[in-house]
Amino acid sequence: MSTDTHTHHFAHHFESADHELEASKEGMWVFLLTEVLFFGGLFCAYAIFRSMYPEMFHEAHKYLNWKLGALNTVILITSSLTMAMAVSACQKAQRNKAIVNLILTFLLACGFLVVKSFEYAHKIHEGLLPGALFHNHEIVHPKAPLFFSIYFGTTGLHGFHVICGMIVILWLLFRTIRGDFDKGYFMPVELVGLYWHFVDLVWIFLFPLLYLVS
Amino acid sequence: MSTIAAAPGTNYLNATKGLRSWIGTLDHKRIGLMYLFTILCTFLMGGVFAIMVRLQLGGFNIMTADQYNRAFTYHGTIMVFMVVIPMIPAAIGNFALPMLIGAKDVAFPRINLASYYIFLTGATMAAYTLFAKGVDTGWTFYAPYSIRTGTSASWVLMGAFIMGFSSIFTGLNFIVTIHKLRAPGLTWNRLPLFCWALYATSVIQVLATPVLAITLLLLTFERATGIGIFDPKIGGDPVLFQHFFWFYSHPAVYIMALPAMGVISEVIPVFSRKPIFGYKAIALATFGIALVAFLVWGHHMFVSGQSEFANFVFSLLTMFVAVPTGVKVFSWVATLYKGSLRFNAPLLYAFCFLFVFTVGGMTGMFLAALATDVHLTDTYFVVAHFHYVMVGSTLMGFLAALHFYFPKMFGKMYSECSAKWGCFLIFMGFNVTFFPQFILGSQGMPRRYYAYVPEFKTLNQLSTFGSWLIAAGFIWTAIYLGRALVAGAKAPSNPWEALTVDWQTASPPITENFETTPVITSGPYEYR
Amino acid sequence: MAHGNHNGSHNDNRNQEHSHVILSDAMIWKIGACLFVLTAVTVGVAHINLGWMNFPVAMLVAIIKGSLVALFFMGLKYDKKENSVILIGSFLFLAIFIVLTSCDLLFRPANVYDKPEPFAAAGGPPKYKKPWTAQAVVAAHGKELFMQQCVSCHGEKGEGNGVASTAMTRKPRNFTSGENWLNGRKPSQVFHTLTTGVNLMPSFGSLPAEDRWSLAQYVLSLGPTPPADSVDDLKKVGVADPTRDDGGQPGAAPSIPIDLAIELLAEDGTFKKK
Repeated sequence: MSTDTHTHHFAHHFESADHELEASKEGMWVFLLTEVLFFGGLFCAYAIFRSMYPEMFHEAHKYLNWKLGALNTVILITSSLTMAMAVSACQKAQRNKAIVNLILTFLLACGFLVVKSFEYAHKIHEGLLPGALFHNHEIVHPKAPLFFSIYFGTTGLHGFHVICGMIVILWLLFRTIRGDFDKGYFMPVELVGLYWHFVDLVWIFLFPLLYLVS
Repeated sequence: MSTIAAAPGTNYLNATKGLRSWIGTLDHKRIGLMYLFTILCTFLMGGVFAIMVRLQLGGFNIMTADQYNRAFTYHGTIMVFMVVIPMIPAAIGNFALPMLIGAKDVAFPRINLASYYIFLTGATMAAYTLFAKGVDTGWTFYAPYSIRTGTSASWVLMGAFIMGFSSIFTGLNFIVTIHKLRAPGLTWNRLPLFCWALYATSVIQVLATPVLAITLLLLTFERATGIGIFDPKIGGDPVLFQHFFWFYSHPAVYIMALPAMGVISEVIPVFSRKPIFGYKAIALATFGIALVAFLVWGHHMFVSGQSEFANFVFSLLTMFVAVPTGVKVFSWVATLYKGSLRFNAPLLYAFCFLFVFTVGGMTGMFLAALATDVHLTDTYFVVAHFHYVMVGSTLMGFLAALHFYFPKMFGKMYSECSAKWGCFLIFMGFNVTFFPQFILGSQGMPRRYYAYVPEFKTLNQLSTFGSWLIAAGFIWTAIYLGRALVAGAKAPSNPWEALTVDWQTASPPITENFETTPVITSGPYEYR
Repeated sequence: MAHGNHNGSHNDNRNQEHSHVILSDAMIWKIGACLFVLTAVTVGVAHINLGWMNFPVAMLVAIIKGSLVALFFMGLKYDKKENSVILIGSFLFLAIFIVLTSCDLLFRPANVYDKPEPFAAAGGPPKYKKPWTAQAVVAAHGKELFMQQCVSCHGEKGEGNGVASTAMTRKPRNFTSGENWLNGRKPSQVFHTLTTGVNLMPSFGSLPAEDRWSLAQYVLSLGPTPPADSVDDLKKVGVADPTRDDGGQPGAAPSIPIDLAIELLAEDGTFKKK
């Protein structure tokens, strides 16, 4: 372990910076556990309604553009890549590399949101809206609004998490430029990295579930 | 391992002065007190609604049916979300947990403070609706009425949503605290049972509350925009709402009960001067209860239109929760057996707990059995059952903990004689209020009705009289505890001669809790 | 005593020297490449028809991708076991949520999700002629229904001593006696009682009319001969023309399950915003 530990201030109730790091990581994992259950409600609704109305899901999902979905998957995986690069760069005190990768991650997240907004615009145009707002005339099945409630619910919630992640990444970027992180202290970067990979993880499941119903 | 030399007479209460030092405090003990104060206020609010409900049912006819709907909704919502859930973990746990494990603070003190303000925000949001259109759906907010009612339901839903995050962050904090901040020598086998209880409670909090969060969020969306999955008008299923809601709300009752059981596990050995019987069994049973808690929520839905198969599964699984609970009750009783009992207030409240919780638990069996539940559901039998288990556990546990930790928190002793009278009043009042409700329910009196057939009049009047007794008991408790705060005798550092490390601090403790980090060399209950 | 050495020797859980694994760039690229390939696999497999296997295969691929992210990018492979337990635990409880909820929603009676012809899902066309008159076949049908619906309160012999009656202060009607029938013992009065409920007995108005007549006939058969209905009595309970086999109400619609009614209402567009 590096000798830089002693130069860093850690909270008084911890024994060392490493102790603080391990505790904080565990705290972040517990938070991610709550996020699994938070998204879980919508996944449960998906599972139930897909089992109850399989033909409706199959028909409705055709109105989703799987190519854009796949593009978004690639974008998000790449952003996970760049995030991992940023974290390891901070751990190795490679400040410039960290900055570049954080910027890339942020831009990729922007790209994700841009693609999403195209998709949403198309849905709005076609009247493929959730619940009582649904007014598409091509889909006949009476339960179709449910599919779009789940689509907008899951991707909307996911998108909200992406936006929150982007804000936090900007804050990280600011701190990295300021020179806050080095070999002995990179806790916030690692924690944000965990969050961002989780956001990617959720999308890895959402993509086949929503876009590739066969 | 730093040695802290505090000026004599300095403790966490007077170390820094002024309102700002409290508003921005990171000290878990001060945060615990802030929670305590807030929860006592919300308890008063919820209690006022209870008195109103009982006045209506006592024959005083003080409100219309619509007003009655609001009264029981607020009583339930306030009591569940703003009182009983945070009561022991946030108010007592925050204060005691770090000291119990020999730590200086919880793992994330800033998140702890944020938790408190989040709680306050959510509570205020929900309370604001009292001055707006109110809410009349019952604390369970069942769809589709909750989607279509024109009241201020959305504010209450969002208030509860926000308070949920307070619960989640507290749970998160406690889990990491217990994992990472135990003092040297404090192995898992030496961990005090209150800590085990808080640990299991925290696990439930972090697993269950997010599901409530998504449920309330979806419901609010559906109210506002018609987007959703619960309203049959848009193809949804209202029973799905009930699944989502009860997936949280059933484990929630164990968030209420487990910490109280933890308190009892602490109090009984101290006041019987005996090691706890079945330490490992109690610890395991605590987690057993926490696990089973997640498997049984459908027993709230036996008459909702749920499938027969689900009814069967949930009824069967519900029976299992009695096993670990029984293990605990037997262990506590076995601890008392041949103990050298000291009948101080904490032990008296522990006795109240044992009686009231056992009655409540046993009546739960009637409700777990599908066939009888069909007749008893939505009657006063259910109301009596859950008051017995919730009040019996959480409230009695809280009062035991309050009387146990009062000297530690404030450095003052309360009048033991007054405390005994308070305990007696509360216990008698509670039973007079709620025991008749078992009878009323089995005879068919429905719940959430503002009137009833004449044959139920006498028992209702008796129940209302009981509610005045409880109120008197609480007012009395407030009086003598208030007097103790102002003019009580100075408390020694360990008035109860307890062995756990939290009592090896000054009363009240210094901000850092311990002058030097303690090293634990023995178990917490090794009384001779 | 709990206090020992005051100098605070370090305990394992507080100060573990943790060898921090830093992911090399090469490793990151490798995992990334795997993830891209697997994404292509996901898309490819979805376009091949594997029947019911498509869903499990898609989920398997997603799990593999997710595991790569969790193990390497999120560091679980090199981390303490506790964090893995936390992640896996969360999925376990989510699974419990989904499985037990499915025990309800996916096991509802079939007729709600199939598409029965409207109004055929219920009792169907009337099976009995003039069920308001005493007939052995009607009373036999009534007995069947009685055994399903009424025994828990009224007892197997209709004596008012069923299991649920033990908790009641006002006992259920004893059908073997002719006394104390609150609404009277004419068949039309018993029919009315069944339709509206009385005291602790709920309404059985959701049963088709002829089922209620059948029950009335059966319970009356357990006691002394009941008084007869006049034409006016019958008219009061909806038998407009007692000379007709169906009571003269061709439009009398049998009841249907509420789920179906909700579906039909939703389908016909009445509640949809246009």
